[in-house]
Amino acid sequence: MTTSPLPLLVPMGSAGTAVEEDTEEALASGIADPWVTIVWNDPVNLMSYVTYVFESYFGYPRAKAEQLMTQVHKNGRAVVSSGGRERMEVDVQAMHGFGLWATLQESGARGVA
Amino acid sequence: MTPFRAMRRGYEARFEPVERVVLAKVARDVSAMLREEAGLDLFSDAGEPGPSSHHAHGKGQAWANGLLAPDELTDADLARLTGVTGVGRIPTDPAAQRLLPDASKDDTDIADEFRRLTQNDVAQAKVDRLEAFAALLDLPSGDDAPSTVGRHGAPPPVRVPREDAEQFAGALTDVRLVIAERLGLKTDDQVMQLTDEIMWDRQAGREIPVATDGRAARRFWSGVFVAAGYAQETLMDVMLAELRGKRPLA
Repeated sequence: MTTSPLPLLVPMGSAGTAVEEDTEEALASGIADPWVTIVWNDPVNLMSYVTYVFESYFGYPRAKAEQLMTQVHKNGRAVVSSGGRERMEVDVQAMHGFGLWATLQESGARGVA
Repeated sequence: MTPFRAMRRGYEARFEPVERVVLAKVARDVSAMLREEAGLDLFSDAGEPGPSSHHAHGKGQAWANGLLAPDELTDADLARLTGVTGVGRIPTDPAAQRLLPDASKDDTDIADEFRRLTQNDVAQAKVDRLEAFAALLDLPSGDDAPSTVGRHGAPPPVRVPREDAEQFAGALTDVRLVIAERLGLKTDDQVMQLTDEIMWDRQAGREIPVATDGRAARRFWSGVFVAAGYAQETLMDVMLAELRGKRPLA
């Protein structure tokens, strides 16, 4: 994920000051949900676009959307939703539609972290 | 190119004519590549043989009688019968793989099933919005275009209706993803460095060279990549602002 190509780049650190939640913790807290959707970092998508997708598609408030975006950017991935497998397939399909790389997996699967 | 601004009838920005032409061209190229790589034409009605085709005629009768021989079934038939969008062909072009990625990193069963269930829909939606994006950027021409030139002799702005803005932004994303793949941009740092170079050249007033060799071609496509990013970034600024309930009407 990258910042804008504008001459005045917004420093990455200003994007989110919320406490970062690691993938493992997110998975542990969402243990009731058997599947998760993970969005992976890529060098192309703009931080503003990723934030927009999280706000508009998932309906997350700005702070949560920016926190997840920052997590994707810095950690390389973030769990963006959890639930049943079919629901996660819908979310992954939507993310691919937006041009984000997303995967689904069982929340207890090895290699999640 | 000027930044997108929120106007009453949509989001507007002024693009140079060359920016409109090049972005429309590359969007159509990406659309054609995606169509080919995803095998969309296997499933489209346009690709079906017409009634004059002997084979199609015979098959049409079988359809009518509900007596399809298994060896007469094509992928397209299966798609219609089952409602499944078709057996997704796994793209071989890395750029198409980026637009239609695996839905699992390590479980091929999950990835394959997901591709089978969704790929045609995702690919078709991308093709449709890339074509719409290109059409919106096409310069008015011909007798049915009374306003080729706007006020002050400038071409009319690119106007993206609000209801189409997400699709427009999505098409910009797909274009940028494909160009980045072609340019071999793999890391955030590479993209940032390239962006800095292009912005520096632009501020220094350097012309984008005509693509006569590999290096010039790379410079050209880098410029297109950055221009598409600028359009998307400024569009996101106004879309996010409105989404968050602040409406900065110009």
